[in-house]
Amino acid sequence: MGTAEHPRGTSLRGLQARWRALTTRWLERRSPAARQVTLSHRKLFILPSRAGLGLLLVILLLWLLGTNYENNLVFAMAFLMASLFAVLPVHTFANLSGLNLRLLSAPPAFAGDFARVRIAAGRIGRRQREHIEICWPPEEGAQFDLVDTESREIDVALPVNRRGRIRAPRLRVQSRYPLGLFRCWSHVDLDIEILVYPAPRDLGPLPLGAAPGEGDSPERRRGGDDFAGLRPYQPGHSLRHVAWKHFAGGRDLHSKDYDSGADTRLWLDWDLLAGRDVETRLSGLCHWVLEAERAQIPYGLRLPGSNLSPSLGESHRQRALAALAEFPLQEV
Amino acid sequence: MTRPDSLLPRESLLWIFAAQFTVLLPHFTRLPLWIIFGWALAVLWRVEVYRGRREFPGRLVKLLAVSVALLGLVLSYRRWFALEPMVALLAVSFALKNLELLSRRDAFLSLLLAYFVAATLFVFEQTIPYALYGVLAAVVVTAALSAQLGGFSARPRRALGLSLRLLAQSAPLMLLLFMVIPRLGPLWAVPQNSGGASTGISDSMTPGDFTRLSKSDQPALRIAFDGPVPAPEQRYWRGLVYSHFDGRRWSQGFGVDPREGAPVSWRKTENPLPEVGPRYRYRVIQEPTRNQWLFAMARPHSETRGVGETRDDRLVRSVPVYSRFAYDVRSWPRSSLVQRPELGDFERRRNLQLPAEGNPRARAWAQNLAQEHQDGAAISAAVLEFFHRRFTYTLKPPALGQDSVDEFLFGSQQGFCEHFAGSYVFMMRAAGVPARVVAGYQGGEWVDQEEYLLVRQYDAHAWAEIWTPSRGWQRVDPTAAVSPERIRDGLQSAAAEEFMEDSLLPLHRFSLLNRLRLQWDMINYRWYQTVVSFDSDSQQNLLKRLLGEVSPLRLAAFLLIPAAIGLCLLLLWLWWGGRGQQLPRAQRLYLKFCRRMAGVGVPRRSGEAPRDYARRIATEAPRLAAMASAVTAAYERAAYADDPSAERQLGRLLRQWRLGAMLANVAPRRHQAQA
Repeated sequence: MGTAEHPRGTSLRGLQARWRALTTRWLERRSPAARQVTLSHRKLFILPSRAGLGLLLVILLLWLLGTNYENNLVFAMAFLMASLFAVLPVHTFANLSGLNLRLLSAPPAFAGDFARVRIAAGRIGRRQREHIEICWPPEEGAQFDLVDTESREIDVALPVNRRGRIRAPRLRVQSRYPLGLFRCWSHVDLDIEILVYPAPRDLGPLPLGAAPGEGDSPERRRGGDDFAGLRPYQPGHSLRHVAWKHFAGGRDLHSKDYDSGADTRLWLDWDLLAGRDVETRLSGLCHWVLEAERAQIPYGLRLPGSNLSPSLGESHRQRALAALAEFPLQEV
Repeated sequence: MTRPDSLLPRESLLWIFAAQFTVLLPHFTRLPLWIIFGWALAVLWRVEVYRGRREFPGRLVKLLAVSVALLGLVLSYRRWFALEPMVALLAVSFALKNLELLSRRDAFLSLLLAYFVAATLFVFEQTIPYALYGVLAAVVVTAALSAQLGGFSARPRRALGLSLRLLAQSAPLMLLLFMVIPRLGPLWAVPQNSGGASTGISDSMTPGDFTRLSKSDQPALRIAFDGPVPAPEQRYWRGLVYSHFDGRRWSQGFGVDPREGAPVSWRKTENPLPEVGPRYRYRVIQEPTRNQWLFAMARPHSETRGVGETRDDRLVRSVPVYSRFAYDVRSWPRSSLVQRPELGDFERRRNLQLPAEGNPRARAWAQNLAQEHQDGAAISAAVLEFFHRRFTYTLKPPALGQDSVDEFLFGSQQGFCEHFAGSYVFMMRAAGVPARVVAGYQGGEWVDQEEYLLVRQYDAHAWAEIWTPSRGWQRVDPTAAVSPERIRDGLQSAAAEEFMEDSLLPLHRFSLLNRLRLQWDMINYRWYQTVVSFDSDSQQNLLKRLLGEVSPLRLAAFLLIPAAIGLCLLLLWLWWGGRGQQLPRAQRLYLKFCRRMAGVGVPRRSGEAPRDYARRIATEAPRLAAMASAVTAAYERAAYADDPSAERQLGRLLRQWRLGAMLANVAPRRHQAQA
């Protein structure tokens, strides 16, 4: 969080960073991260909104009017407004207090897109809740009521820019009910972790039949005529290649692997995109994964340090994209 | 996903317009027509924009609108430092703001302004109906504010209900603040409500003035006495002294009118009046007259701020009475005077002034009288005797010509108080006795067990005062010589036939209606006494009555104790609303049982069925096995078989167990004590 740009902390930005770190630490203590949070006085803050300050100004003007005209009815109006100003925060606070938020799901998203996090909001007790906004601060977020129902599921969008496993910042839950003159808010940490895939980027068509660039070494591709060994059987493997003798010997079902100069299967290889920086390569691979999935061509993924054998389907896609997302930052 | 700062939705707009209409409506009579039209036009335009038929006005149109509005204000109002232009300016800003009612912020601005406009109404009117209207306006504006959130809140019933609830919850605190917050008095001079013609008695008297007043039953004064009450024939409420006569018109004259340089004593310390002796204490609540003069009995003294005393025994206010005004007065009857009266040269000349010519017959007769009688009292008696013998009292006197006094005295001999008073003073002056005409009200009607005296415009009266060296200024009422009933019983009996015959409904004739009117007047009076005229004095009195003595400590307690109680109630309300769904009784009892078991070290695991739990208790705490199985069996019967007797049994079992646990707790302690 804190930037090390200004070690002495004399500049404004340094001070700001320090302040933010301080408040964050305080918030951590006061309202620790949890999948489920019930808002209470420990977590809620309340202040008049700008319109509320406007009402204070109106009260002051009314008081001046009443004083100068010695007019008790104007005074009464001023005092009525002042009392309203005293009563309102209770209602605003009560609107949020006892609200229960629970993380339902935080599905992965692509960098540069929005992560849509699903949250269940419920109320404790009979009091109806109105006009609750929930958002990640600069964003608009969502607004909901709990009037006719006890609970409700809400989607909140968080813009994600960097791939990786992202820890979502604190959510802001706020309400200006009933008159918009007070704002009650809480910054809750629902312990949301979002897996962010790299942003897909079109760097060329799918490398069908392309050779992975492995220097001058002889290429080894599966699916040729020369036996190269056994590998665990997976659906989609040709039955002709099943090592039946092996299987009959009481061992697991294996496919015989053959090498050949021309592998027909699709390999999305890190090395195919040599010469570009890490993130661009990951984005290109991500695009290919999506393309291959769309074209229903089984594909494998080769990254430095991890290999995913060719396959197809939702879980395979997720595994491939997750591998891309979790590729260590700043390697090479 | 909704954008909170997006264009205002339909409900928002409608609510804003409703709020504006509500707060502007009572001002409609006061505002120039073009402002109302301009406002309606702006609303129409904004609605058209909403319906997509028209664009928001461009910069040029807006500039034009602002210039037209400013020009209109300049042309409509000569005086800028006044109340009406201020309200007009607020109304104009409403209208102009409507043309660019874009965002939530604009909506809030417009509605906060509406609160202010709602309150400006009270500067003009402070009666009960207007106060109620003010409450209505506050409710509508608050509802409009709540509707700005949109969705459920914008539904009319919900918004109004919420608004009523919020304001009702604010009311107790408002009352407390109303009682406690000190009133500082004006911080700077402010423009007063100067619209409309002055009502009541004017600063001069021409024939016909008082007959005009006799047709009005509007209240003029309400007077409440503290202590003795003067007899009906003593109730003369002096307002003006006319010293100057130009042949037709009586006026105050130079040196008598405070506006023309007559000295007024504003200082309360120099009190020339005796501190002892008989006196009347009373409080006068005067309806707005738009004039400075006040009404009191002779020799008045007032402690009320802004009230001064003139040399000719009257009270005046530093500013005209634009809204109802209350002042406390003490009056000493003349007889209690100890000082020897003196009449200065200037005053003597002032009160002997007559026009150079005119009314020769009256002058000649007056000089005759002066020669025949030795002192002023005797001359006065002769004139009154003349009135008594020959004259009739009527509300419809014939018109008089150039020499009005001559024509009245020797011609028509029919008249109203102004004729009697005017010609009497003329005669006395012509005979060399200093005399002056006094105008004010005489009499009044008791309201509800003599709580206060209601003086109406038709009680307006003119009488005279003459100077006698021995007793100073003395009141003489020539009308009393002609029609004693007028003074004793009021105008209604003195001129019963003519009285108010012009009014459409002779309301005074129906006693029930009259009683109702008096009842209403009394409610108004109470309202004015307790609320409208609540000032720092009454505040002190009230606090003294409530607290015994006004010390900072007690005041703080007075403020803080209700505040603390209110806070507790609110917390209670929060807890009540936030508390979970009420579980069935059996469930609650069983949960209690689980808590107790957790207390003795066998907590129920999550998701553990009651029967399993009972079995586990039996193995882990065999001592409690029998009780646990009984409780579980009772609970199962109560919860699943809806057996009310099982529910009762469950309660009994738990009570017994607690008793047993308490005894068990006490027993070891006793052993320890013995050991």
